[in-house]
Amino acid sequence: MKKRFYRNSRKFLLVFSLLWGITVMAQEATVTGTIISSEDSLPLPGVNVIVSGTTVGTVTDFDGNYSIQVSSSNSSLLFSYIGFTTQTIAVNGQSQINVSMVQDAAALDEVVVVGYGTQIKRKVTGSVQTVDLEDFADIPVTQVTQKLQGQLAGVQINQTTGKPGQGISVRIRGQLSVSGGSDPLYVVDGFPIAGNINTLNPAEIETISVLKDAASTSLYGSRAANGVVLITTKQGKTGQTNVSLNISTGIQSVPQRGRIDMMDAVEFAQFKKEYYEDQGSPVPDIFQNPSQYKGQTNDWYDALLRTSPQTIYSLAISSNTEKLRSSVVAGFTDREGVVLGSDWRQYTLRANLAYDISDDITIGVNVAPSWVIDNTPRTDGTRGQGILFNALHTWPIMPIYNDDGTRTEFNRFPADTGNIFSYANWLNSAERITEETKNLNLLSNAYIEWKPINGLSIKSSLNAEFYRSQYKYFSPTNATFRINAPIPTNNEAIWDNRDTFSWLNENIATYTKSFGNHNFSLLGGFTYQKFRLDRSRFEASDFADDRLPVIQGATNINRAGTFDEVQENTLVSGLSRLTYDYKGKYLLTASIRSDGSSRFGSENRWGTFPSVSAGWIASDESFLENSESISLLKLRGSWGITGNNNIGNYTQYALIDNNVPAVFGDTFAPGSAVNSLSNPNLGWETTKQFDIGLDLSLFNDRVSFVYDYYKKNTTNLLFNIQVPRESGFSNFSDNIGEIKFWGHEFSLNTVNTTGKFKWTTSANISFNRNEVVALAEGIDQVFGDYHITQVGQPFGQFYGHLSDGVYLNQEDLDSSPQVPGRSTVGSIKLVDVNGDGVITRGGLNDDRALMGNPFPDFTYGITNRISYENWDFSVVGTGSQGNEVLVRHLFSTANLDGVFNLIASVKDRFRSVENPGAGFFGTTVGGGNVTGIERDWINDRFVADASYFNIRNITLGYTLPGLEKYFKSARIYGSIQNVHIFTKYWGGPNPEVSSQNNGQGDGGNLSQGVDLTGYPVPRIINIGVNLNF
Amino acid sequence: MKKIIILLVLCTLGISCDDELTIFPEDSLSVPTFFKTEEDFTQAINATYEPLRNMYNQSKPFLTEMSSDNTYYARNTAFGATEQQEDIADHSIPSDGGITANSHVTNVYRDLYAIIARANQILITIDEAEIDETVRANVKGQALFLRSFAYFDLVQLYGSVPMHLEPVTDREGAALPLSTEDVIYAQIVQDAQGAISLLPLKSIQEPGRATSGAARTLLANVHIVLEQWNQAEILLKEVVGSDQYMLMPNYEDAFSENSSNKNNMESVFEIQYREGAEGLQGNFLYNFLPRPIEADEVGAITGTSNPQPINGEGNNIPTPDIIAAYEEGDLREDASIQYVTLSESFWNDGVYPIIKKYVEPHALHQNHGMNFPVYRYSEVLLFLAEALEEQGKGGEALPYLTEVRTRAGLLEASGDLGEAIFNERRVELAFENKRWFDLVRTGRANEVITAFGARVFSNPNNYYYPVGAEPRGNSFSNIRLRYALPASESEFNPNF
Repeated sequence: MKKRFYRNSRKFLLVFSLLWGITVMAQEATVTGTIISSEDSLPLPGVNVIVSGTTVGTVTDFDGNYSIQVSSSNSSLLFSYIGFTTQTIAVNGQSQINVSMVQDAAALDEVVVVGYGTQIKRKVTGSVQTVDLEDFADIPVTQVTQKLQGQLAGVQINQTTGKPGQGISVRIRGQLSVSGGSDPLYVVDGFPIAGNINTLNPAEIETISVLKDAASTSLYGSRAANGVVLITTKQGKTGQTNVSLNISTGIQSVPQRGRIDMMDAVEFAQFKKEYYEDQGSPVPDIFQNPSQYKGQTNDWYDALLRTSPQTIYSLAISSNTEKLRSSVVAGFTDREGVVLGSDWRQYTLRANLAYDISDDITIGVNVAPSWVIDNTPRTDGTRGQGILFNALHTWPIMPIYNDDGTRTEFNRFPADTGNIFSYANWLNSAERITEETKNLNLLSNAYIEWKPINGLSIKSSLNAEFYRSQYKYFSPTNATFRINAPIPTNNEAIWDNRDTFSWLNENIATYTKSFGNHNFSLLGGFTYQKFRLDRSRFEASDFADDRLPVIQGATNINRAGTFDEVQENTLVSGLSRLTYDYKGKYLLTASIRSDGSSRFGSENRWGTFPSVSAGWIASDESFLENSESISLLKLRGSWGITGNNNIGNYTQYALIDNNVPAVFGDTFAPGSAVNSLSNPNLGWETTKQFDIGLDLSLFNDRVSFVYDYYKKNTTNLLFNIQVPRESGFSNFSDNIGEIKFWGHEFSLNTVNTTGKFKWTTSANISFNRNEVVALAEGIDQVFGDYHITQVGQPFGQFYGHLSDGVYLNQEDLDSSPQVPGRSTVGSIKLVDVNGDGVITRGGLNDDRALMGNPFPDFTYGITNRISYENWDFSVVGTGSQGNEVLVRHLFSTANLDGVFNLIASVKDRFRSVENPGAGFFGTTVGGGNVTGIERDWINDRFVADASYFNIRNITLGYTLPGLEKYFKSARIYGSIQNVHIFTKYWGGPNPEVSSQNNGQGDGGNLSQGVDLTGYPVPRIINIGVNLNF
Repeated sequence: MKKIIILLVLCTLGISCDDELTIFPEDSLSVPTFFKTEEDFTQAINATYEPLRNMYNQSKPFLTEMSSDNTYYARNTAFGATEQQEDIADHSIPSDGGITANSHVTNVYRDLYAIIARANQILITIDEAEIDETVRANVKGQALFLRSFAYFDLVQLYGSVPMHLEPVTDREGAALPLSTEDVIYAQIVQDAQGAISLLPLKSIQEPGRATSGAARTLLANVHIVLEQWNQAEILLKEVVGSDQYMLMPNYEDAFSENSSNKNNMESVFEIQYREGAEGLQGNFLYNFLPRPIEADEVGAITGTSNPQPINGEGNNIPTPDIIAAYEEGDLREDASIQYVTLSESFWNDGVYPIIKKYVEPHALHQNHGMNFPVYRYSEVLLFLAEALEEQGKGGEALPYLTEVRTRAGLLEASGDLGEAIFNERRVELAFENKRWFDLVRTGRANEVITAFGARVFSNPNNYYYPVGAEPRGNSFSNIRLRYALPASESEFNPNF
């Protein structure tokens, strides 16, 4: 062994000296030529031309021409191109060699990445969709998931907030869970990562395979139920040496379309004047003459926004020698946010190396450090939590600036104006509050692959992920995100540091063998994965000096917010897959994985996840073989079981909370209490999935069509069942209940024109449905604040009161059910759902009912690509139909007491029996006792149709001719992201919104589709250049 | 590497890697390892007191004082979202089907059951633990006292409730049927008797913890509610004769200051708070202030370095009725009530009475450390007077009443002795969460509150409604002796 290493390292040195020698010896002769495709005789750009046995190489230009210098007239040239047979031609003194490349029948069998290996696409029996990220290189977004929007059937990707680097929700086949997570499993080069997918630089990625059905995911066992996303990073390719530089820069801005139409200063003062007039009380001086505010509106929301730049650099070097393949990608992204004070920067590097030690042994190392710095100061969240919400409803007569042009510090008007809240200057808040996260991520793999005999491969890998995130929040005395906290206020800080270390050892053997027409491939392996998180959090306040926000400067440490946390888990697994086909047209795959996890209760430690799938390539049968029109007809079917183990690491245990102190006299007395119930039977969620599919290609693959129908049943849901508090606990974690999911997915790809003017279209549409079959025994529904999850209904439906206009007059009031003591003429009229004659809220038998559905009827995407000569053009559109959003911010922005600014449509409210308004907003008379029902008893007026079609991206590129001397290719392009959204949604700019009160998430599965006016999604106008050397 | 592979093979065959797959949390203890040592039990009993802080800070005073004629809310017409408090003060809590969504009704219920669950965890394990007998008796006595205390509040506030005497270990055991008041009272008596036999005297016990005197007073209170006067008399005489308690010479000194004077010689049991950043503080003084109130006006009351304005609606504001209830020359009036002026108020000249008992200077806004009284020695004396008087021993009763009145600067009571004791309780124990329970147990709640409601309706301005503002139409329309059970609990307990 030692000897061999020695020999190989000598070879390595030789390779280096060869590299070194290129410039010295490459002066002998020049060969030029043109390369065409044998099929249509059109020139082939991008063909690799290499001098055999050396690293000297080039690629053909746009017109198929190449020029290469060879060291000796005895050299041979190697011509290779994906999908074509490689040709070797001896130079023999020729100075011109033209080649006609022949399409390779075998190479037509495109290979796709599947779990624990690759498979010929034609033979795949599961539901797998692959995206080549190269096609989306020009889309100027920083998260890879953003690039996938609209490309994948059955995968709903929503941008729930525009916070830089955050806010993308990915749901495969509508999968969701009550308490467990619903994000798919992300696997980077075979390693299921624990960290954040959004820190990955999209430029590093070659392809993404999305595994949707159980047959393709079950090898990931207890983590596969939410679907699996396999990410393959760029590897050095045989026969290529390439340096590619991409630089793009753009400006981001928030479109006017969709912004919430709030009252301006005149309208607001007019509203207030009418408010007092309607009450019959004197109008405060400042509202006596609304027109005095003409032209003096303080648009706080708009003032927080800005036009901001972003720049993306990426340098990729791919090189290859006989033994060593390498790919290095370096990236830098600098993105200033469109909200004041926010920005996002990313520095990434990835080096992927593979080295053939000998003919039968390959070792590889991938190392990918990245560093991401994000600062987004409390933009999102509800009133008093998110600066944007605060700004939206701050009185427009409150000045942003003093007369001398400096910013006001805080605004509060005398109590007789009805201003019961004080407001800090939100611009100061955005700029002065720090909320910064620094992420250091080091992802690395090393593997050795040994092929001792033909068909057998044994691969052992060690993968490690180190992920550190350092969060720091500091709000100085002269800023706050709260309302009613006059400046100066208390300063406060939070530090939250997390170190995550995860490692995985995998040992996989694959053996492929054919006997006559019987083709087998057998895979088996063992894996061992460990995860550990160490977290330290400190929360402190009252720092002596704003300039020293360090722990030792704090007067008070908040005990409840200060803690250490350790999370650990171990996963031990065995897995196996058998793939068999007969004559390449009758296909069968069976796989099984067994997972043992420390997360599962002691009585339920091991889970087994089998699947089986079959396919039939009907087009290879004699009756279709010679069909002119049908080039592929494949029928597929699969069934399997997968799990979801996102149940928390220690959920099975009854834990002691040791931070329940008491005091006796003046003596602090530490206290401990049991704060959860144990469950030794706790296990994974089980999803059984059935899938049938059809792959059809017509007219020489000019049209290809894929259809899938799936049906899933998720049982043993991890459910934090609420238990009555008489038990001393609020919930019990158990595996209980059942949800069924089903859906249809259609994808269509067409090559509309070929030749010089080439136009392709890809489109997909998906219909995903779910229904709750059962919850816990004795529990038929789970309530959220304005959602309900109920047996017999889809998940997480909006739940509240149904409205029926306002009580138009005394007669109407007297003859209608009322809220006792609160309903008046002109106040909102709610429907008496339970028919008991009064309107009540609370308990099981009140007057709330289903009032909307946050899930779409269908989602769709369409992408067109056109190229003509040196021009290329693409447009991506995505849409969603039938989904609804709860316009939650109305509880403030339509607060009829006049304590906040209001949406403009409140102008048309009930003012008197003679002047009843549009019937949407009720009377302002009566104060909170009357108006509170309208805003606090969430009702269906808050539910809005959020169907949309978004022209997500348009890109136009031009490949510069005549620069062959300097570049292999050079291209410039312009790209616009979020071009325009067609929607009737009126609650805010983003119909994909989903937010929660603290601004830190999308509401979870039970509470989707709530609009609290979060960070707006910017439009990005970008220009860029791609240079290949 | 070899080792891992062997392990993997073994594990995958399911033979032996439970050790590999058993990971206990490093950052917290779990039940199998807890409830073993003295320190464990001490920490567990400390945590059993914890819910009292939250309960007395707001919701219990609303349910037991503001629901009476002693205090009311001070309407702020610029402010909505006030119905949770108003519904209690003006007796209009919606209670369809015997349940209500009122947040204070829910909060108190949850806090009381948190106490019970923690006490049950101790009581089920402590007999088996290998710990010092003195510690065992003391901890067990406190646990029994607190469980008894919690069920006594539950039965007085809600009537029939589920009765848990063992820790819940699974979902099935979490929801129990309602037990009758008789059954609950029997348990309360049994627990309190157990506590009496186990707990030390106040002079021995760490200040602030439950004592045998507190347990006797609690049990006497139970007997008084059950009109078992003789049993009450015996227990109360034991407290009086224990030589552990005296009235503070000045009435105003009976209430704890912010750090000194806590658990003083008059104190039988009080809820313990401490100012500072450990989360042990109270802010009930702030919850009982009228609003909107400016920062400087808050600062003048509290003396903090960082006063802030407070908006919303003021609660637990003394009514003209309680002010009128003080006899001429009663020193307790000025010790119990003070007046503040709110420049931004919409009500008349903005001069409101507030509860002075809880006004003590402290350092930081919304963070004070005075204790909330539960049982004071003066109540022991008044209970004893009442128990004696009810048994026809008026002559024996009078000196106890007089002892309380003398400190207040008053002479011996005249007229009907029973009425005199009842009225004395109102002023002596004003704002100490006694009045509503007294009205209920004496059968006067309906009559007194109906009359009070009529006064509010006939002259809203006297009851802090700004000119033009009216009580809500359904005020005083749902006077009930027991609160309805929480709606949010009925969702998970099929028994109600």
